[in-house]
Amino acid sequence: MSEPSFSTSRRRLLGGATALGAGLAMPAILRAQEPAKPAELIVRAWGGVWVDSLKKGVSDPFTAKTGIAIRHDLTEDNEIKPRIWAAVAQGRTPPIHVNWDTTANATSSALRGVCEDLSDLPNLAKVLPLAKPIGLTGVPIVNLYSYVYVLANRPEAFPGGPPTSWNVLLEPRFKGRIALYNDGIGFHPVAQVVGGGKVSDIPGNMEACWAFIRKLKEQKPLLGEDPDFTNWFQKGEIDVACTISSNAREAKAKGVNVAWTVPKEGAKVDTDGMWIPKGLPANELYWAKRYIDFALSTEAQQVWLDGLGLPGVAPGLKPPADLVGDPSYPTSEKDYERLILIAPKIQAEHTAEWFARFKEIMQS
Amino acid sequence: MAIRGGRPAARAGRPPATAYRLSWRILDALEAVAARWPARAEGAVKWLLLAPALAVVGLLVFGLVVMADASLRVMDFRTYQLGEDYSTANYVRLFGWGAFHATLWRSLVATLLVTLFCLLLAFPYAYALTRTASARLRRVLLVGLFLPFFVGQVVRAYGWLVILGQQGLVNQALGLVGLGPYRLLFSYPTVLFGLVQYMLPFAVLMLAPALAAIPEEIERAAASCGASRGRTLLRVVLPMARPGLIAAALVVATLTLTDFAMPAILGGGTNDFLANLVHDQFFRTSNAGLGSAIALVLTLLGTTVAGLLLAAAGVGALGLRGAR
Repeated sequence: MSEPSFSTSRRRLLGGATALGAGLAMPAILRAQEPAKPAELIVRAWGGVWVDSLKKGVSDPFTAKTGIAIRHDLTEDNEIKPRIWAAVAQGRTPPIHVNWDTTANATSSALRGVCEDLSDLPNLAKVLPLAKPIGLTGVPIVNLYSYVYVLANRPEAFPGGPPTSWNVLLEPRFKGRIALYNDGIGFHPVAQVVGGGKVSDIPGNMEACWAFIRKLKEQKPLLGEDPDFTNWFQKGEIDVACTISSNAREAKAKGVNVAWTVPKEGAKVDTDGMWIPKGLPANELYWAKRYIDFALSTEAQQVWLDGLGLPGVAPGLKPPADLVGDPSYPTSEKDYERLILIAPKIQAEHTAEWFARFKEIMQS
Repeated sequence: MAIRGGRPAARAGRPPATAYRLSWRILDALEAVAARWPARAEGAVKWLLLAPALAVVGLLVFGLVVMADASLRVMDFRTYQLGEDYSTANYVRLFGWGAFHATLWRSLVATLLVTLFCLLLAFPYAYALTRTASARLRRVLLVGLFLPFFVGQVVRAYGWLVILGQQGLVNQALGLVGLGPYRLLFSYPTVLFGLVQYMLPFAVLMLAPALAAIPEEIERAAASCGASRGRTLLRVVLPMARPGLIAAALVVATLTLTDFAMPAILGGGTNDFLANLVHDQFFRTSNAGLGSAIALVLTLLGTTVAGLLLAAAGVGALGLRGAR
């Protein structure tokens, strides 16, 4: 009885040993097929909570898995773009490996043809369709999460309850105490709706939008960028702002009493993505793709986007406890019905025109 | 006899080994090379000496030519490439754009006001610096003059955010007497204030050598002839300080006209100058064509301002030898 048993066990043991040997050998074989690892990859990122979350959720775990160090380049997305374009045009190696970018801004690079195709990323098949950009050839950009331009406010300024309409921006008591992005980004579709126009008229007829922004100009708004909003709320310079929910959440985390809401007219929803500039050596391109692929994984997105408080494209993500049911953290179709999405290609093709109109109103 | 701490003296008739230094030998060698320079090519020496400066200026001119080329081509936002055909469309658009008019006017007015205020404030400072008999006061004034150069423009602008903010030092002080808080930031006057504070050391630095070059005896002579201090200042010192005043005005005016950081940081986004507009076109909308057009207009404007100042005062006002 014991012999067969032993025999079986031996066979099992031998089989197991073979499998184990093969298992151990396989990564070595795969590793042999992998291109040489660069000492580091350079990933462009935004500062503050943005880069902190990326480091914690994506970069550090990626380094732990691959041994490749990640250096974060905090050059503004708009400022790195011409440097990349120039490098590609001149056949030089681009200054970064991965560009973390707004999808609208990235789309301009895709339209110019400076992005590598990312359609072969394995995780792309497992994530929400939102990850693939609309209206572009191939997959030059991978969208990673969405975010909402909320109406952020100081609760002390709203003793009667949180604001329910973007029209509060026109209340005389907030003159000089409101803030928008300095290129109007995130506000145009909302201004179109509040001004009495239709979203479907964008970009053809946006007079309603410009009329509302002209009224808003009389309120002497402050115009800034992401870090300014947090700073202005902290320093008591503003009471209400149109900004990305993450900035308001960061200010709140720093102890500033800030709340946010999606008013009844809706709010603009957008996506951010990553892309790889053309002109990298083959091995660096390979590992840059691996980085973006990892950023698409549920494992990375759960930690990274918890830090940002944004809904990712990986399936099965759990929202942070403080954002469950928050309209700035859309998870269902019903949530998205309240939000306004403008195709990135339309945004990219009309950014300069909208910017010129916005500047004309605000600088005059 | 031995030289203290050195080698024994050389034998009579030969200089000691240390007397003829290596640096002198190098200069001798250079002179020997220069002596071989053909007499006919002597005129080329000045051009050789000027060559590095000319190379730098040449690079700038090359950059302007590249920008001029870009300014005549229109960006196609479907491909984000500049078009191949030349046209004046960017300039037509620019001169019909309200934001450009407002920004141009704001930049020019700021240039005028900041230059004026800086000259008014810099003159007494530079005068005190060059005339004071107290070494201690001179040291204090020199520290006051050079310290700001160790703090960059952006840091200084952020410093004003801390001082003038709603919860800043000024509003806190006003709060102690029951006033405010007031919005002191993010307005045109704040930008002008920041610029004057930034430009003032430049103006003092340009003025001080001109005032130092005026012999004090001349002022005493004027006084001995019965001129009051005010009259001496107006009729003697100011005219003689003209090269310094013109140089200070040139530096402050051109730096103010092309400034970027102060309007960006203290202006709250609604008080841009032309440089901010150029930055926006290149880095925000990726419109290199329109950005180049604005940059060229700004360059032309700066050159015109400098030219007008020199035309009004004469190149000789800068104290250049042989210039009128």
